[in-house]
Formats: sequence, structure tokens, C-alpha cells
Amino acid sequence: MATVAAIGWAGQRAAQGEADALATTMRGAAENYALGLQSAHATFKYLPYTVSRHPDVLALLADPENPALRQRVNVYLEDVNRRAGSLDLYVMDTRGLTLAASNWAEPARSFIGNAYANRPYFIDALAGRSGLFYGVGLTTGVPGLFVAAPARYGDAIAGVVAVKVSLAEIETAWKTASTPIFVTDQRGIVFLGTVPLYRSTRPLTAEELEWLKSNQQYGPVTEFTPAPWTSYRGQGERGYLIKARLDKVAREYLAFDKPLPRLGWTLTVMTDRAPVAQARHAVWLSGGLGAGLLLLGGLYWRLRNKRRLERRMARQEVEQRVREDLTQRVQEKTRELQTANQALQQAHTFRKAMEDSLVVGMRARDLEGRIVYVNPALCEITGYSAEELVGRLPPYPYWHPDDLEKHWRESSAALSGHAALTGFESRIRHRGGHDVHTMVYTAPLIDADGRHSGWMSSVVDVTAQKQADERQRVQDERLQRTERLAIVGEMASTLAHELNQPLMALANFSSAARAFADQDQPGLMIESLDAIKAQAQRAAEIVRRIRVIVRQRTEGGARAEGAEDCALNDIVARVCSLVQPELRLRQARLATRLADGLPTVRGDRVLLEQVLLNLAMNGLQAMQHTPTGQRVLEIETAAVDGGVRVRVADRGPGVGPEVATQLFEPFFTTKDEGLGLGLNICRTIVESHGGRLSFDNRADGGAIFTVTLDCRP
Amino acid sequence: MTTQKPILYLVDDDEAVRQSLAMLLLSRGLAGSLGSFESGEAFLEGAELQRCGCVILDMRMGGISGLQVLEELKKRDSWLVVLFLSGHGDIQAAIAATQSGAFDWLEKPCDEQRLLDKVGAALAWAAEVGQARQLWATLTDREAQVARLLASTGGTSKEIARQLVPPTGHRVVETYRERAYAKLEVSNPSELLQFLQRFWI
Repeated sequence: MATVAAIGWAGQRAAQGEADALATTMRGAAENYALGLQSAHATFKYLPYTVSRHPDVLALLADPENPALRQRVNVYLEDVNRRAGSLDLYVMDTRGLTLAASNWAEPARSFIGNAYANRPYFIDALAGRSGLFYGVGLTTGVPGLFVAAPARYGDAIAGVVAVKVSLAEIETAWKTASTPIFVTDQRGIVFLGTVPLYRSTRPLTAEELEWLKSNQQYGPVTEFTPAPWTSYRGQGERGYLIKARLDKVAREYLAFDKPLPRLGWTLTVMTDRAPVAQARHAVWLSGGLGAGLLLLGGLYWRLRNKRRLERRMARQEVEQRVREDLTQRVQEKTRELQTANQALQQAHTFRKAMEDSLVVGMRARDLEGRIVYVNPALCEITGYSAEELVGRLPPYPYWHPDDLEKHWRESSAALSGHAALTGFESRIRHRGGHDVHTMVYTAPLIDADGRHSGWMSSVVDVTAQKQADERQRVQDERLQRTERLAIVGEMASTLAHELNQPLMALANFSSAARAFADQDQPGLMIESLDAIKAQAQRAAEIVRRIRVIVRQRTEGGARAEGAEDCALNDIVARVCSLVQPELRLRQARLATRLADGLPTVRGDRVLLEQVLLNLAMNGLQAMQHTPTGQRVLEIETAAVDGGVRVRVADRGPGVGPEVATQLFEPFFTTKDEGLGLGLNICRTIVESHGGRLSFDNRADGGAIFTVTLDCRP
Repeated sequence: MTTQKPILYLVDDDEAVRQSLAMLLLSRGLAGSLGSFESGEAFLEGAELQRCGCVILDMRMGGISGLQVLEELKKRDSWLVVLFLSGHGDIQAAIAATQSGAFDWLEKPCDEQRLLDKVGAALAWAAEVGQARQLWATLTDREAQVARLLASTGGTSKEIARQLVPPTGHRVVETYRERAYAKLEVSNPSELLQFLQRFWI
């Protein structure tokens, strides 16, 4: 909502700015147009008075029937009229009858002999005031400005001198302006301008209509249709809105009124509102697209301020300059701004769309490692918002708590420019608590000046792939287990479960038998006792089967059938490959030190593998609480007197004294799900090969299991 | 309201285990109404699931496992209280099962007193569940729907009115709510939630 409001506000603000600019322009234009009108009036204002002071004119008024005098005055008027540039100049007596006129020589349109007693300018002048009137000439049908002055003979008014001035030139000049200009009289009738004339801008009263009719102010026009537009006046002097339909096209104008008090008129200039709407639209559009309002805003203000400066300068020039020029400049600026806006908008929108569509997380850091930018994908991958990440220095919130050391190492490597080009794998902790596996690629960030300003990293979420790998690994492992460990362990487990069934039944039946005995129910008691016997036999059978299996699997030995010469290092290598899945699962490393030139051992390869595999698995399981970096399983082979030795060492807690004594006992286990057969079986196997299995605690933590095998025949 | 006497079901693929359990329960007078099944499938097929009772269920069986039977019971909104029998290696799974709706578990083999204590407790609980289920069954569909929404969302009657299908006015919802409260003998949403959670409804 706030954004929408801000965009709306920015739009209004831009429109307002544009409206202000236009209003200023229009005010200037109105002043200029008014000046033209006023100067037309001013030029001829004193002409009638001056003419009235001429002796011949006064003489003629005193002696109207003197033809010679009349002719002299005619010539005089004609001369003055021509030099002054007015339309007509004429002298009337007190009845309004024209005695002499500048157009005496043009009989068709000469005023001489015509009476203009009912013309307002005549009436005003006869009353001793200066007369001023714009209207259509009764004789000529040509509109003009009539200025009149009384001709005084002493104190008495002997007649009236009037000059008719054409405003056609001014009107023509106005037509070059691209926007409408018009003048209304005190009754609101448009009589001059570049719009359809003789239209009323306000309703006329019957009285006014009557006056207009009787005075024939606008000649034959006595009906005044409303102007084809509607004004919407607000408060303030900024002008108002005019909506018009021109050529069937709806248009909006901003109008500005300039009252001309001396003339009793109002000059109105209008200007197309399009630039205002465009300015608003441009801002709304950019805001509406949601594209970098701030960026655009900044640019917009800069352009705007620049434009304001220019506008201020332009305003100083306003008196000398032609108005259209400025209007054009405003429009040009508007266009310029729009183009700039659009270009920026496009560029920004493109970049943003590109970044938003990326599934690859992007993170930019400065040289200190401070995050300066993240894209939405990175936020998605880490679960943190851009606000939470930008500005952060390492350690970043998504670093995995178990891998802090690795993160520090990789982070400092990347920041010092040693990041591997192939990227590195990094496990991070999503805000939601789950782990995300990522590949991180880092490249230097070079700014526009070619300066190295930081680092850009792309972060790819490989969790799904990792999980698939993990599943595969678990499956592999399970397979390996059934192949190898199941031979003894799982089979024993199955048998143990099977053994539990008769044991359970035994307990139940005996408890029931006891109860039936107490209840004196011999039938049920005997039934229970029989069942007990049967279940005891069943249990004994299961135990026998376990024995057979264990013996089969362990009593290979050096002299048994199927014994072969085995290279201890080969057996170790085989075991190493078998524990690979478990190493990955437990995030442990394997370190082997294999001695060369070891004598071979006579025995059952598979069983010996079982022993080492069991020891390796135990070692790995013992390190589950060891910090990841320290989980190293060491396997070492060596020659000893008369045989070979293999050691399996872990970094677990070691073997406590209370455990040590029972370590090789059958069914002794420290594991939750363990059967307690592993080490016992291992020892049995080793011993059947004529060897020894022993263990020791390491001085610096952990346990070492040593298998020593005899190589002597 | 009459309190139904809980039924006891035994499900184990080992005949000796089934028989010995039946014998033990018989010797303690607990086998009044007893049904035994040799597989999960047979049990789901033949047992009455919507009644007050308890099932002693082996975890590891041929065919569907005990855990799968539990899932199916939940799916079918059974009233039965589940007591698992778990062999070696299934203990973790048995513990997990108690967190997802099983009443308790027993290790095979186990001390008979322990077994009898647990069976006794399970039957007592089954009686309680049965009673609660009977109360719940007196609710109309609409009242039950409102009660569930109220307990799960804690929403106001207006919100619940909107969530109902078809929607209705909040006054109507309030009426349903009051009726549900009265029938279930609770007086506020948290008691209602407790009721539903306690009985796994």
C-alpha cells in the first residue's frame, strides 16, 4: 500500500511539477498577449483626443455645413489614420452623425452621413468619458476596437472623435501559437481569439441579450451559443482545467485567465494538458512496473532539479522570449525525461527480471567480506531475507554450525583470491533448520573504473543431488552389509528374534500354569506345562541352528578346507573399499600405512576380511561423538616376528576399564542395537587362524585393535 | 451412558506366542472377550475396529508389519488402544510408535508382571477412550466439524463460519459449539483440544 501511495504521490508530484511549469509558462504567455492588446489600445488611446484638439475639427463641429472645412478635415483624418495605422478615424456631431471621416474617399464604406448615436463608445464619449468598445462595424461589418474621445469647445462637448482599430493583426499573430487564446468581454462572450467566436462562456441574462441586440455589438450575431468546452475552476491562481471536444477528439487544456481591467475584458490562454498527463503517466508507469522506484526517483529528481534551474533561467528570459519556445522546451524536457525514464526502466527491469529468474543464488561482497548484494534465489536457498544478509560480515548466519572451521577457511581463501575456479562444496544451514548443500563459485568483482571492489559468488543448491547420492550410498551400504556383515551379524539377529518367540511363550505359559495351579484348574495347568515343554524344545533347536551357522562361518582357519595364501595388504585394500560408504556417511577419513614385502598368510580370505571389516566398523562407530575434522580411522600393516600384524586405530573415547574385561564376551555390547557377537566372532576367527586379537587405548585418545597372524607353516 | 466392557485382541504370527498370551490372560481372568489373529491383514479384516478395546500387536510379522497395522487403524479412525510387542532390534521403532498413537510397548520376552500391568493399563485406557468416543459419536456432523475447526485453528466463530462447507453464520457456529461443549463435557477450546488430542480423535 505504501508503495502504491508513494507511486501515486510521485505521479501527482510530477504532474504537479509539470502543471506548475505550464502555469508559469502560460502566465507569461498571457502577459504577453495582454501586452499586445493593451499596447494596441494605448497606441490609439489619445488619438481621438489629439484629433479633437485640431482647430479645423473644432471649426467643423461649429460649422458642419462648411464643405471646404469638411474636406480639409477629411484629408486631415485620412492622413492621420494612414500614419497611425488605424482602420478608420472620424468625427461625429453630438447626434452621432458623422461629419468627416478618413474613409471619405470610399463611398461604398464611408461613414460620412451615418449616425452612430447608439454606439456605446459614442455615448461614453458624449458623456465626457473616453469611449472604448469592441464590436462589429455597423457599416463595414468588420470587427474592431473603437476608441472615442469628446471634442470639447470650452466646457461644452461639441462632438466626438472616434478611431477604429483593427485587432486582426494581433489575432493573426495568435494563430501562430499552437494553443488556443481568446478574449471575452464583460458578458463572457468570446469576441476575439483563435477559437470559434461569439460564443458565450456563461449564461446571458435576458437584459444582456437585449442590450447586445439593440447595440448590435457583434453585428448580425444576436444569439450566443455556449462555447464548446467546459471549465473546471479550482481555487488558486494556477489556472483551471478546460475539457473540450475538438474535431470529435476529447481534449484537456489548462487555462489561465488574465483580466484586462482597462479594457473590461478577460484574456484566456489555454494549453494542452498532455505533457502534464504524460509526466504523471511516466511516473505512474515506472512505479507501477515496480522497477527501481528509488533509482528512477533519484534520476528523476536530478533531471527535475536541472530542469527547474533551466526553467528559472528561462523565466527570466520570458519577457523577451517567444512563449511557444518555452512551451516547446518544457515538452522537449518532458520527452527527454520520459525517454531517460524508459531507457532506465528497461535496463533495470531487464536486469531485475534476469536476477529474479535465476535459480542460482548470487552474493556480492566487498573486499572485507561484507555482503553488499544478494538476489532472491540466494535468499531462497538460505532462508534469510536480503535485509538480514546485506551488511553482514563473516560469519554469515547461514554457516553450518558443524562446519564453521571449513567456512572460515573457505571464506578467507575466497577473500584472499584463492578460491578454486571449480568452486567448492559448502554445507549451509537454512534458516528453517535443515541443511542445504551448495556449490559456491567465486569471481572478483571489477567496477566500472576497473577497480577490484569485491567478490561475486554464485551459489548452486545441490541438495537434491546430494540427497540422491546419499540414498544411493545408503543403498550401497545396505547391500554391502547384507553381503558381508549379514553373514554373521544379521543372521544372528534374525535367529535371536526367533529365539525370543519361544522365550516369550515360555514366560507366559509358566506364569499361566502357576496361576492355574493356584486356581486349582489342573486341565489348564497341564495344557500350559505341555506347551512349556514344546517351547523349550523349540528354543533349543534355534540355539543349535545358531551354533551351526557361527561354526560354519568362523571355523575356517588356516588348515581348513578352502584355506589359501592371502596377502594382508590386499585384504586391507578390499576392506578399505568396503568401508567407503560408511566413511562418507560418518564424515570420517581413512589413513592407511601399508608395509611392503609382507609374507602371505594362510587362511580364509572372506573370514579375515570379516574380522577387519568388523574392527573398522567398530572404530567408525566409536567416533560418532568425535568432531568431524578429527574422525580419522587408521589402518596399518607391518611385519612382526614370524608373522604379520594389522592395526585398526580410531579416535573415539577408547575402551573404559569396566568394558575392557568383557569386551570379547559373547552378547556383550555397548551399542543400542548391537548383538554383542562381533568382537567375539572376530576373536574366534582370528584364533582359528592361529593368531591373536588384542586391544589397547591410545595415549592421545582412541582405541587400537591389533590382529597378529602367524605366517610360519 | 453404559460403559462397554473392553475387548482384547491378540495379533501375532507366532502361534505359541498367541496361545501363551491367551493362556496367561485366561489365568488372570482377562480373557473374557478375546480375539486372536495370525496376521495384521486378518485382524483388520475380522476385528471390530470401532469399539472400546485393546490390541496386543506384534511388530514383526509376515505380511504387513505392526506399524502398518497401526497406520491403518489411525486411517480408519479406530477406537482400539494399541500395545506393541517388540522383539530385539525393534525397540527404537516401538518407542517411535508410542509417539505416533500407540499406547505402549512390551519387549519380547518380558516379565509376566510387567506384561500384566501393561495390559491392565491398556484396558483401562481403552475404557476411557471408548467412553470419549461414545461422547464424540453423539455429535452431529456439523457439531463435530465445528469442534475440530475450533480445536485445530482456535479461530473465532466468525472465522469458523467462513471455513465451514457450506459456510454459515457465526451465530449458528456458536450454537454448534455450545452443543459440542455440552456433549463432550468441556467448557472451552483448550479443554476441547485436550479432549481431542488425548483420545487421538
